[in-house]
Order: sequence, then structure tokens, then C-alpha cells
Amino acid sequence: MRTFLLKRLPSGLLVLLLASFLVFLILRLIPGDPATTLAGPDAGPQAVAAIRAQLGLDEPLVGQYLTWIGNLLSGDLGPSYAIGGQVSDLIGNGIAATVQLTLGALLLVVLLALPLGVLGATARRRPVAAAVHAFTTAVLAVPPFVTGVLLVLLFAVTLGLLPAGGHESFLDAPDLALQYLLMPAVCLALPSAAVLARYLKDGIERALAEDYVRTATAVGVSRRRIVWLHALPNALPSAVTVLGLQVGHLVAGAVLVERIFAWPGLGQLIEQGVIRRDYPVVQDLLLLIVAVYVAVQLLTDLAYAWLDPRIRWE
Amino acid sequence: MPAFPAPSASGLSRRTLLRGGLAGAGLLTLAACRSAADTATAPAGDAASPRRGGVLTVGAGVDFTPALLFAQSANTLVQRLVFNTLTRYDDRLQPQPELATSWQVSPDGTSVTLKLRDDVLFHSGRRFTADDVVFAVKNLQNPVRSAQLRSTAAAVTDFRKNGDFELTLTLAHPVSNIFDLFEFMIIPDSASVEEAFAGTKLIGTGPYTFTDRKPGSSITFARNEKYWNPGRPYLDGVEIRIVPQAESLLSSLKTGQTHLSYSIRGKDVATLKTDPQFRITSYDTGAGAYYIGANVTGEHVSDKRVRQAIAWAVDRDRLVQQALGGYGTVSSTPWPKSSPAYSEASAGRYRHDPEKARQLLKEAGLTGITLPFAHSNDPGNTAIAQILQYDLKQVGIETVLQPTDSPTMQKQLISQTMPALWTLSHGFAQLHPATLAVSAYPFNEAKNSSHFSSPAYTEIVQKAWKRPDSDSPEAKALYQQITDVLLDEQFVIDLAIAGLTEVAGSKVRGATLNKFGYLNLDDAYLTA
Repeated sequence: MRTFLLKRLPSGLLVLLLASFLVFLILRLIPGDPATTLAGPDAGPQAVAAIRAQLGLDEPLVGQYLTWIGNLLSGDLGPSYAIGGQVSDLIGNGIAATVQLTLGALLLVVLLALPLGVLGATARRRPVAAAVHAFTTAVLAVPPFVTGVLLVLLFAVTLGLLPAGGHESFLDAPDLALQYLLMPAVCLALPSAAVLARYLKDGIERALAEDYVRTATAVGVSRRRIVWLHALPNALPSAVTVLGLQVGHLVAGAVLVERIFAWPGLGQLIEQGVIRRDYPVVQDLLLLIVAVYVAVQLLTDLAYAWLDPRIRWE
Repeated sequence: MPAFPAPSASGLSRRTLLRGGLAGAGLLTLAACRSAADTATAPAGDAASPRRGGVLTVGAGVDFTPALLFAQSANTLVQRLVFNTLTRYDDRLQPQPELATSWQVSPDGTSVTLKLRDDVLFHSGRRFTADDVVFAVKNLQNPVRSAQLRSTAAAVTDFRKNGDFELTLTLAHPVSNIFDLFEFMIIPDSASVEEAFAGTKLIGTGPYTFTDRKPGSSITFARNEKYWNPGRPYLDGVEIRIVPQAESLLSSLKTGQTHLSYSIRGKDVATLKTDPQFRITSYDTGAGAYYIGANVTGEHVSDKRVRQAIAWAVDRDRLVQQALGGYGTVSSTPWPKSSPAYSEASAGRYRHDPEKARQLLKEAGLTGITLPFAHSNDPGNTAIAQILQYDLKQVGIETVLQPTDSPTMQKQLISQTMPALWTLSHGFAQLHPATLAVSAYPFNEAKNSSHFSSPAYTEIVQKAWKRPDSDSPEAKALYQQITDVLLDEQFVIDLAIAGLTEVAGSKVRGATLNKFGYLNLDDAYLTA
């Protein structure tokens, strides 16, 4: 295994190195720079030049790159140019908020998809099945920014039950945090719940057509028991695979939902970083994402190698 | 064959009961919780008399940028909460005492003597003295601070202290807008200024102490119990909540989650006009002015008749109604009504007259020209650009819209690489007129985005700036000359003065803004 790891590790490090080059260069190719952004619209060239010098942006690009990598290797992500504070704190807080939102949405996906899938597959009355189908189609068709605005109008503006937006930490005030989380999590969860519900419905319908179900019905087992204890467990494996794929959609969708509900997650952070040309924030965040992917890939390769010794010897 | 358990004999199982019980408990727990939808707390009391207590929530569209703490920017709500200034203007642009109790300008205008309060403490407990004023001026002289009034601060060449609470500033020449500087310049704690610039620690002498900042989410403040203004502030604290999405900010106000905002779009403000839950105040000082910039080195627009034709072609009334929701004043000049440079005749010089525009183009020998037209790519500015594009097309000027993000546009502005036309907004006309011409880059006589230069313009601007007074008939005559140059040359084609609009919930009283948009909550309180 150690030999296998030593073989794989250099390619992972090479990917990281190339990614760092790309991230660094692409940011500098985007028009506009941190100094002009920080100087403001009324600033003159002298102020811009002074800010550029203070940030070290007047150094050659190679020097800037080496300084960045050197600081990263020593564990210092440095200060943010425009947002303020340390980049490590900003990313840490952003991750916490995005994970909170994504996990909340994931839980809702399961809670919504399960009854909808079962109801869609087992409803004996045609209108009920049609209603489930219509609901899942509608939430798939309506984009999250529309759902978000409608949810705010209904639950915040009209009914006054939930806050229109914002964020609270679960550690500081769990009751308020739950209320802040509810609408963004629902908004994020609905499309994924619809997809999962449809997979579940199909899976349950296929299971219900199996011979053993007919036998069970013949020996007098209740339909409810057949559905929940036998058909559903058979439909779950493929649904779990779909759920895994939906996690990626949830993380990507969080970027948009965070903006609608003023949720201070990674999506907001990267958006603010790009808009303000906050190089340290964007560079570190993008490289962190690449590092996570490289690490996951490496772990997956290791898991395969551990499960299948032939791979180790290839 | 799978083994099938026998069906339950009972209709209501323990499991069903347990599920029902858990669901009920969950609902009861949620019902018993505090509600985040009405976390805005207010003390009991009637609306007529100020009440102590409560936390005021202010909604902002953009986050605080610490590096712009000493500059005017899109979010200047923080400055006057944590810090004080030396003086503050009243509605007639007359300076009133704040940390400076009195002042004396020398007859030749080359020095100003300030007497300072002797009962002011920084939030750190340190006493405020004349040294802090010296530090504040030098701080603004540093180009890294990017202060728009740096040229005025740079005119201060020497400091002479007379004890801890009296100070004379020596000026390189008379400066007519010195009190603009005193209103603009916040007094920071010298020991922690770099931390303030990084946004990690804000220490001033103001009514509220900085308690926490969650970037992209909120900034919170608590009452400064040792504030020099007796009995103030009334509020226990202030929270600035960042809500970037315009629709979400509006919803946040409607739900009462936010009490006060200055970031509501004009067209959204119009929808709240008749709602008794809100009080809408328009500040006639103006948040800035919308304009079309012209690069006078560009093809076709180098001819001032073309620029004048554009000024005649624009339907400013429609722009104000459709793009600003009626919250703005049509104007051909940058000056709001409160400015000493304002004149109704000049403001109304260019009206919507497509025929006159066509005539000017004909005189210039041009028909059917096409010009690049840059604009900020946010929805509000895009709508403005589209309205202008339509108007220009009616007189035979085709424009190719170039949506540009804000940092790129700023870089182009500063590096003087703008295309033939662009539209943006500018500030600094709400102060003494010389400030606009020496501090706002679009108008800067020495170097501006339009590449416009003229010895006559430079001479008038310098004369207006270097006067010892700002309100005399001679000063006003100079302001009119500046206006005449602007109206004739049209390198900045002013369209409308944007009203800074305050939308306050019915519980909010006493919030004000200074001329730079610094939020002053010394006298603010929440009614029951």
C-alpha cells in the first residue's frame, strides 16, 4: 500500500501545483484589480499606485506567486484585501455556514422524497398520484430564485412566521438558527427532493410488480407492510446512489440560495471575493476546493487498492 | 420466500402514538421558541418622547469594506457610529460643533484654530486630545487611505498645539472647503488604526462600540456608556445586516426584521410610499448624480457639439420616473438644490429636445454615428443604459452597450481608458463646490476620465478652491463660472441628482445622515 501511495501522491501534488498556477494567472487576467477596487471610484492614480505598492501588487508576478505559495506552505493564508479579517477565518466561517445549509437541505430532501415517492407509487386514487406527479414536476421546473422569493413572500411577508433572510449560529441560538435555516433549506432541497421522489416511485413500482409481493398479498400481508418493509428497502439502493449525486447539486445550488437569503456561506464569500478582486480569498478558496477533490480522489484510489489487490500491482 | 410478520391487531399502535407525540412536541417547541421574524426589540413607551433601550437593525445592500473606512464608499454606515468628526454641517451647510467646540479662520484664510472638547474618551479609555486631530489629518494625507479629500488634507502643512485641547492648522493656501474635510474626517485611535483598516478592531470616540463583525452577514455595536454627549445614545445597540439581494432587503423591511435602510431601490421605495408602516425621507443633499461621461479624445465625441447633442437627446424625466422610481431630480448640472452653486436656470439648461440634438449633429457634419457605451452590469445601471440607448437612437446615434463589472470600470476610469461614452454616478456635489472639482475624479481639473483639460477650467477651479470663504458673492460667481464650463463642454453630461432615500419602519425616530452619508444615531430611538 505504501508503494501504491508513493506512486499516486506525486500526480496529486502535480495537479495541485498546476491548479495553483492556473488560479493565480486566471485571477490576474480578469480585468480590474484589487488596488483600483479598494481605491474607490473617485481615486486618482497616485492613490491606486500607493495601494498597489502596499499590497505588493507592483512586484513581478513570479515573486507574488512564490510569496503566496510560501505563505500557504507555512500555514498562513494571510489577510483579505477587501472583505477584511484573516482569510482562514473567512473560509472557516463560510464552510460552517454552507455545511449547515447543505446538511439541512439534505435532511429535508430525504424527509420530503420518502413520503412523496411512496405516495406516488402506491396511491390507489388517480388524483393523488397525479397531484404527486404535478408537484414534483412543478418544483423541478421552477428555479430556486423564484421558489425563494415565493417562500419569502408567503412565510415572511404575509404570514410573518419566519425571517426573510439572515443567519444565526446553532451554537449561539439554536432556536433562531433553525428558523433562519428553514426557508433556504427548503428552497435548496425541493428540486433534489423531486428527483429523488421520482426515483423512489419508480423503484417501488418495480418492486411491487415482483412475484414475492404477489405471494405476500396472497398470504394476507397488509399492503402498508409490503410497501414499507419490502418494496421500499428494495428501491432504496438506487435511490441512495441518486441522493449521493444530489449532494453535489445541493452544494452548487447553495451559491444561489445563499444570495437570496443573505446566508454567509462559501458561495457568498467567493462571489464577494471575485466582485472585489480579493485575490487572497479567491485564490485560497479555489485551491482548497481543488485540494479537497485531489484528496477525495486519492482516498478513492486507496480504497480500491485496498479492496482489490490486483490494482496495487498494476 | 421472505418471512412476513403478522399484521398488528391494534388500530393505534405504540409506534403511531410515539410518532404523534414527537410531532406534537416538535410543534410545541417551535411555538415556544423566540421568533427570528420579530427579533427586533423595542422598549415600551410612546412615540413622542425618546426612550432608552432596544436594538436598531439597519439593512445594507453591500458589506462594509474596512479598507475604505477613510474614504466615501457604498457603505458608510459604520463611520459615525464608532467615530466622531470635528464638525458637522446643518441643512444650510453651516458647520456645527462636534469634537471641535469652536473655530477661528485667520483673515487671510491660511490658518484655522480649533478648540476641542476636553471630556471625550476613546472606547479604549484613552483621552482625546489635539494629537489625535494631528494624527487624523496625517492619516488622510496618506494616499493608501484613498480619501477623496486627500488634496484638502494635504493643504495642511503644519500643526501648532496650544495645550491638549487647542490646535492651529497652517494651510499652504486658503482652502474654501476646509469644513468639508472636518465633516469627512473621522477621528481614529492612533494605536489601533491599522487594525481598523483591516476591519478587526474599530476604536473611536463615537456613540457605539464595535462588538462583532461577520463578513457578508452583519456588524454589531453596543452603546458607548461613556459617550461625551449626555444621555446619548438612547439605543442599547445597533446591528447592520447585510442583505445583498434587493428583493430580500425589501422583504426584510416589510417583515420588520430590518428597521431602517438607505439601500432600497427607487422603484421599490415607490411601492412603499402609501404604506403607513414606513416613513420615507428623501435627503435633498443627494447621494450623487447620474451622468454620461464622454471621452473627449474619442471619435465623434471630441466635437463638443456631439456631446451637447447627447445632452439634448436624453429624456431625463423618463429616466427619473422609469429607472429611479421618481426618486431623483432632473438636472443638467451636478449640484443639488442645497448647494451654493445651484441655479435653477443652469439645472434646467438641457431639456428633452431631439430636434435640437439632430440639428447639432447636422452642424457637426455627422449622421448615423455608432458609439461604444459602457455601463455597470448591475440591473439598475443596465436599465439606465437601455433608456439612454433608446433616446440616443432617436436622434441618429447608435450605441453599442458594453456591460462592465464594477472593478473593471473603476480601473478603466482611473487609467483613463474609457470608451467614447459611459454612464455612472458621481458624488461630492453635495458639499462646497470646489470639493467636486478637486476631489471627484470625473471632474478633476488636473486629470479626469474624460481626458478633458482646459486652462480656463483649471484657473476657475483653483480660484474657487483657494478662496478663504465659500459663500460670498465672489465665490458664488466663481461657482457659476465652473457650472458654465461644465454646461458648455459637456465632458460630464449630468442627467439627474439621485436622492438618498431613507426608508424607516414606523418605530424608528431620530436617525440622520451627514453630507457624506455617515449614519448618525446619537438621537435615534425605537418607540413601542
